Parts: sequence; C-alpha cells; structure tokens
Amino acid sequence: MKKNSMLVTGIGVISAAGADIAETLRTFEQGTRNAGPVTLFPTALRSPVFEVKHLPDAYYLEGWRTLSLALVAVDQALHEARLSDLSGFRVGVCMGTTVASQLNALQFYKTYRENGQAPMTSVDRFLKGNLAEYIARRLGARGPQLSVVNACSSSTDAVGVALSWLKSGLCDIAIAGGSDELNHVPYCGFSSLGIANPGLCAPFDRDRQGLNLGEGAGVLVIETREIARKRGVSSLISVKGYGTSCDAYHLTAPSPEGVGLRAALQDALAEAGIGPQEIGFVNAHGTGTHDNDLVEGTVLADLFGPDLVMLSTKGFTGHTLGAAGGIEAVFTAAGLREGWVPMSAGFTTRDEAIRIAPVRDKTAISKRFALSTSLAFGGTNAAIVFGREAGL
Amino acid sequence: MMISGIGMISSLGLGMSRFEEALRNGWQRPSEVPAHARTGGMLPAYLVDLASLPDKSLLKKVRRSDKVSKMLVLAASDALTNSGIERNAQTRIGIIVATAFGPHVTTFSFLDDILDHGDAAVSPTTFSNSVHNAAASYVSMSLNIKGPTLTVTQFRFTFQAALQLAQIWLDQGRCDHVLAGAVDEYGEVLGYVADHKLTTARDGRITPFTFNPTCQVPGEGAAFLLLSRERTANTYSEIGPVRINSALDTNEPVDLAIIDADGMLPDESAYRTSLSADVPAAAYSPLFGSMMIGSAFNVAAGALMLKQQMTYATPIQDNPHGVRLLTETGKARLGAVRCIGYNCYAEQAEVSLKKI
Repeated sequence: MKKNSMLVTGIGVISAAGADIAETLRTFEQGTRNAGPVTLFPTALRSPVFEVKHLPDAYYLEGWRTLSLALVAVDQALHEARLSDLSGFRVGVCMGTTVASQLNALQFYKTYRENGQAPMTSVDRFLKGNLAEYIARRLGARGPQLSVVNACSSSTDAVGVALSWLKSGLCDIAIAGGSDELNHVPYCGFSSLGIANPGLCAPFDRDRQGLNLGEGAGVLVIETREIARKRGVSSLISVKGYGTSCDAYHLTAPSPEGVGLRAALQDALAEAGIGPQEIGFVNAHGTGTHDNDLVEGTVLADLFGPDLVMLSTKGFTGHTLGAAGGIEAVFTAAGLREGWVPMSAGFTTRDEAIRIAPVRDKTAISKRFALSTSLAFGGTNAAIVFGREAGL
Repeated sequence: MMISGIGMISSLGLGMSRFEEALRNGWQRPSEVPAHARTGGMLPAYLVDLASLPDKSLLKKVRRSDKVSKMLVLAASDALTNSGIERNAQTRIGIIVATAFGPHVTTFSFLDDILDHGDAAVSPTTFSNSVHNAAASYVSMSLNIKGPTLTVTQFRFTFQAALQLAQIWLDQGRCDHVLAGAVDEYGEVLGYVADHKLTTARDGRITPFTFNPTCQVPGEGAAFLLLSRERTANTYSEIGPVRINSALDTNEPVDLAIIDADGMLPDESAYRTSLSADVPAAAYSPLFGSMMIGSAFNVAAGALMLKQQMTYATPIQDNPHGVRLLTETGKARLGAVRCIGYNCYAEQAEVSLKKI
C-alpha cells in the first residue's frame, strides 16, 4: 500500500469537554469532568451523561442536534484550514454517526401507533438529514460522500475512508469525522445491555462499572500535500495510516484475544510505515466497560509493551458513539501538535488483569507518532496513525 | 475490478438462477400486504419470503437476527458460493454494506419496548440488532470473514459509493476480494411513509419509463457482488469507473443502458437526459420493487447479461416518451452496459460494466 500521508490542516471539535479545541485543552489541563443527569429528554434512568451544554445559537437546528453538532465542528475545521470557498477543489465528505442514521423518532412513532398516521416532520428531517449528504450539500462539496454507520468505530472508519479516497485521487481535500447527539433510544439500549455506569466512568480502572454516554462531534480537514502547498497552508500533523478488521466473533462483545483489534493496529502501522516502538501514545477506545478495556489493554500491552503512554479521553467526553472516533482523532492530532496528553480521567486503581495502565497526569509527548483506536458493536475494530512532521 | 460472483435474495427468491428466471419470464404481479390503518385495504409489495427457502441451515446460524441480517447473510453466502473462489487463512475479504434505512423494523420494535415497558425494561437483543452494522456483523460471523467490514448509509447512490470504495480497497491492497452489497427491508411504518409521500401503483406495476408522474411499489432484498482484482473462472464482467455527481462518459460506447427508475422520486424526468436513441434502455425495478438500493440489482442484471451475452426485455414497456426500449429477450453481442441512477437533485451516478 502507498505510504504517502495526508496533511491535517484543520480540526474542529465540540463535546462536553469544550465547545472548541482551545476550551477542550483547558478542560483537559484542569481535569474537569462535565457530567451530570440527562436534561435533553425525560427518562427514569440515572446513568450520568456528558451533554454539550452550550450549542452556539447560530447552529441550532430544531430536531437535528446531531447535524448541529457536526456543523459546529465542520466550520471550526474549515476555518482553521483556511477553506472558506471549496469551489475549484474536489472535496469529499465522510462522516460517521449512529443516531442520524435511524428513524428513532419516539413521538412520531407513538402517534403513528395510536392513530395510524402521524405528521411527517420528523420523517422529513430524517430524509434530509443524512450527515454526509447534508454537509456536502451545505458546503457545495462535489467530491465523494459517505455516511459511515459502523457503530462506535464509525468516525474512525470515516477518517480511514477519507485517507483512502485521498490516496486514490478521488478527491483533493476531505472533511472527515463524526457526530452524534445524546439520544433517548441508545440511552435505553446501553442501559439494557447492563453497561451504563451508575456513576462516572473509569476507563481501565480495576473498579470500572461501565460507560457514560456523551455527545459531540469531531472533524478533520485532510488534504494532499500538493493541494495544501498550492493553497499556501501548512500543518505539523498528518494522517499516516488506517487499519480496520473484524473479529467475526460476537455481535456485542469483543473477541477475547482481540483478533480484530490486533490486525487493525498492525495494518495501520504498516500503512504508516512505522514500528510499534515509534508510537508516542495511544488514545484508546477505553469505554470503561469490563470487556472492552480488558481486551484493548491486553492487545496494546502485547503490541507496544507495558510502558506505552496510553489514555482514554472518554472520562472527559463520555462515549459519544458514532462521533467517538472523530472526536478522539482530533484529540490525538492535538496531542501530537501540543506535545502533551491529559490524564486519563476516572482512572485511579490499576487492574492487575491488564498489563498496562493509562496515564494519571498530564504527560509530555516527544515521539512523532500516535494512534487512535475504536472498537465497536459488531466486532469491528479500527485504528488511525497520526504523525508530526519531522524536524519540527 | 472484476465481478467474480453475485448473490441475491429478493421477492424472486434466492440466487442468480431465480433472478435469471425472473428476467426471462418478465413482470409478475407482486404480493399484497395490509395497508396501514389510515387507508385500510391492501397494498402491493415485493417481499422476501424466508419461510419458503428450502435450505434453512444458514438461517439457523443467525436465528437470533432480524430479517435485514438474514437477507444479507443469505446474499453474501450466495455470492461467495457463486464466485467459486477458494479461501484460505490468508485470503482477506472485505465487506461493504450499503443501506438506505437499515433495520428499521427492529428499530420500531425497540421503540415499542420503550413505549410499552419503559426505559428500564427494554430488550438488549432488540437493541443490538437495531444497530445499522449488525447485519454486516452477522455476515462476518456466519461466514468467518475478518477483513475490513463497513456499513454505509445514504438515500441515493449509497451502493455506487460502496463500489467506488471497494475499487479503492482492492487497488490499495486492503483486501483480495470485497463483498460489496446492499440491503433494505419493507416495514409497515416506512410503507406508510412511502405511500404518504409517493404514489403507490395499486396495480403493482412500476412504470420506469413514464418518468412523471411516477409510481412505486415497495420492495425488499439484499444483493452482493464479490469483487476481485483479478479475473476468475466465473467472472461476470469488469466494472469500469464508477462516477457519482459527474457527467456521463458519452465517449465510451455502450450497448445497453439500465436505469434505476422505480418511482422512488416523484419526478424521474432527469433520466431522459441520459438516454439516447442509439442505445436501448431497460429498467428491472418492476421485477424486484422500488428500493433506494435498487441499483445493486440492476448492476447484477447488467453483469449477468454481459456474462451470458443475452439481453432480457425490459419488463414493463409503458413508453409515453418514445424511449428506445430493450424489448427483446435473446442472444446478443454486448460489450458494455451502463447503469444509471439519479437523485432528487438531478445528480447522477453511473456504473460502467464491460465484457471480459
């Protein structure tokens, strides 16, 4: 596979940890965890969530919270990339989501059940709100477009698809990432699976009791070096490699041996053309569930050794499902750019069953490469390698 | 990129032989389903009858799955078998599944849970199966495929986008083969939505060349192409460039145009701009129904015709605009087939198929 990497010229992010990357980095430094009870919908369930409390007014779209969040991140990323006008470029849009792909409109369905008919408002929103289609149309992007619905690895895969598009020449610039709102339906679903934490999540901790759901969006502008040079923009950060593999094991549980994750990591490293020893840190999927963290920690220890700098940022954002990979890709790129990663929030006690532990404090990074991983329902696993330019 | 195998399930049955038989026999009246409460009566629909399948061994392996997953597993297995490729531990197969609506019947079942039993008493199994990529996961588990596995969703051109990505995966060496497929199911609620927003052909006849006004008849099914870099003994055809939102390549000679028109757009007049008096046109949606992923079945029809050097008459020939239709079934010399889709913005997607 070709090893030419693509530049990340813009990043955008919104989550409970902050309305942009600057605010997020301050949250990371302070170690603040902005979780609380659900306020977005009525529910009898009590697992805390990480809601976005301050969605900018200009982005409010009634009934389209996932899109609103996505547009905040897209605009930030385009602004940083100095891309105000896409005309003249072949721009692809690849976005991951879970919520925006489903017509899980409870009120519509309730009315339909009761009356045999229902207003089409939420259906129309659904039909017009496909994430990639909507964003591409809004921006006038005429390149390829895909909405990836690979559950919790959706937006890691979206970034990987964008990298493949760029390498193939299908587009010059790609807008890639993901978005998901906190929604009543998956909130009930994760509770039913018995993995919603009654308290705050504690990824990789011995006493972890499950995940907290969150919401947000994370978006990267990725482009070929040639186009960036022509546009007169530069970047310290690049996407180096992507790997994805399926466990073929179980619908909701990871393979105990981490077969798929191992393969995804190896493929990502191979595409990047680097070895495990060159990785400076891994922003792990780290949900705080027993099985995910055990399998992921074991595979990371096997491949990178027990001294790897590793963290989960879900202690700051909650599990944002289809957006998680995009948000964590942004955090990984930012970590390389800033030269540090935050504490793995929620982690206090080492789990002796896992031969590796996440960082407890803000940690300086000197190596040039980092990984972001995602494990998903359906046994899909994905990993992206980011790099910092040499000599910088 | 070569089409090495095709698998499908639709109202026509399981497998290419059933599809070929339907192409040969022409249009058949679809079954009927009870209409939603608003209108009452019955509505036509092209539905998959899993209970009628003679071999249920694969279905037993995925018995806890929903209909979307079952259809997809059957089609994927059928495509692998049809291809005749030999797999070993090193053979890396990728899966790309395109869908417009995913497992919406299961989603509504989960909403039933919430409404009937409350937030704390819902079924974890139903929730797990309501996730869009559950079906692809069942394919990977039941067929032991561990390569890249991706589910993508859009309302138009999602199958064409899947083909585009499959081509890239093969070119970049991510896989040796890719199962690129599409699936959508019929359900009462979306049946109501379709009937409310579009015009249903009460007589069950989709008339693809009427263009405006249009009429739809809901369909459901799954189709997979097993795509390979190299030619195999069973190769159907080559897939040339897949173009989305770009102009048709009118310099490329073609012998047949297959259009995706199926009544899923209220106005399908844009198709007229892609048709020429020099090239006969066909549309096979009247055989399997209206689906936003119907292009997968049309591409399969084109590939079959190229392999067999046969043409199959377009099944419904209402033709108020005087389009040059493919009206004959029989032996033919086919070098290239163009499969064309349009969306509601009059943007187009094109899949070019070439004889090997």
